[in-house]
Amino acid sequence: MSESEGDKWGIAHVHASFNNTLITVTDQTGAETIVKSSGGSVVKQNRDEASPYAAMQMAESIADEVKAAGIAGLHVRVRGPGGNGNKSPGPGAQATIRALARAGLEIGRIEDVTPIPHDGTRAPKNKRM
Amino acid sequence: MQHVKVPQDRIGVVIGDGGETMREIESRAEVRLDIDSESGSVAIDSVGDPVTGLAAPDIVRAIGRGFKPEVALSLLDNDMRMFDLIDIGEATRNKNDMKRQKGRLIGENGRTRQLMEELSGAHVVIYGSTLGIIGQPEEVETVRRAVGMILDGAPHGAVYSYLERKHNELSRGAQLSGSTEDF
Repeated sequence: MSESEGDKWGIAHVHASFNNTLITVTDQTGAETIVKSSGGSVVKQNRDEASPYAAMQMAESIADEVKAAGIAGLHVRVRGPGGNGNKSPGPGAQATIRALARAGLEIGRIEDVTPIPHDGTRAPKNKRM
Repeated sequence: MQHVKVPQDRIGVVIGDGGETMREIESRAEVRLDIDSESGSVAIDSVGDPVTGLAAPDIVRAIGRGFKPEVALSLLDNDMRMFDLIDIGEATRNKNDMKRQKGRLIGENGRTRQLMEELSGAHVVIYGSTLGIIGQPEEVETVRRAVGMILDGAPHGAVYSYLERKHNELSRGAQLSGSTEDF
């Protein structure tokens, strides 16, 4: 690594669906994973995996490891389920970004990378709430 | 840069008296709002901290869906506060059915809507074909369930008792310093 310790940047890929939140922190190329975590690692009940609380706890533990790896700032790529499903990121996305910022990591660009179909497959039929 | 569409009769509220509300959103969320009052499209540009700017689209959308600016700005008060929108038009078959379901959601003299607000602690606004909720995540979840029950045809009494039960759970959880996930 030619860059000096402490001003390296990484990318936090946040996949926030309504059933889970997956956070993967990689280096800038996106090829080397530094840490990853998902809702199931912090909560017991399946239905809590997508909750903002779970996302916060995940982000906090991730922030520690990220800092230990010598990374000072993160660009964030949020994505919702996408495709023919829901286009907006789930409740965990906002919470994750905030928790990362509060844990002392600098947040650079926030990008939405939800896959949007250029008219792909047929959308599932509407479910009752 | 993000775009939010606001209906014609709410554009004035987003701008406020002499641009007051617009300026408050801009300064508190560290964004720049570019409002096209003819088409009703609001362009949101984050100028300061991108993390505080994250809530700005939701604030504008909430005002556009009938919330008072003060309530919409409460989204900035703490990290967990969230805005949720339920599309009643999507859950109903036709215009008449939507009218009926809206009536059921609002209740006699607004009693159902008011009870949803009081027992959950969230703010609930029904405007046009949408129902908006602003509150803490578990409050929003409670209202969402209640609305789902009503749209599914549950009798009001059943929904009230669900809300009552949740109300007890929520107020008890608050006393135990809000630790809801470790059980």
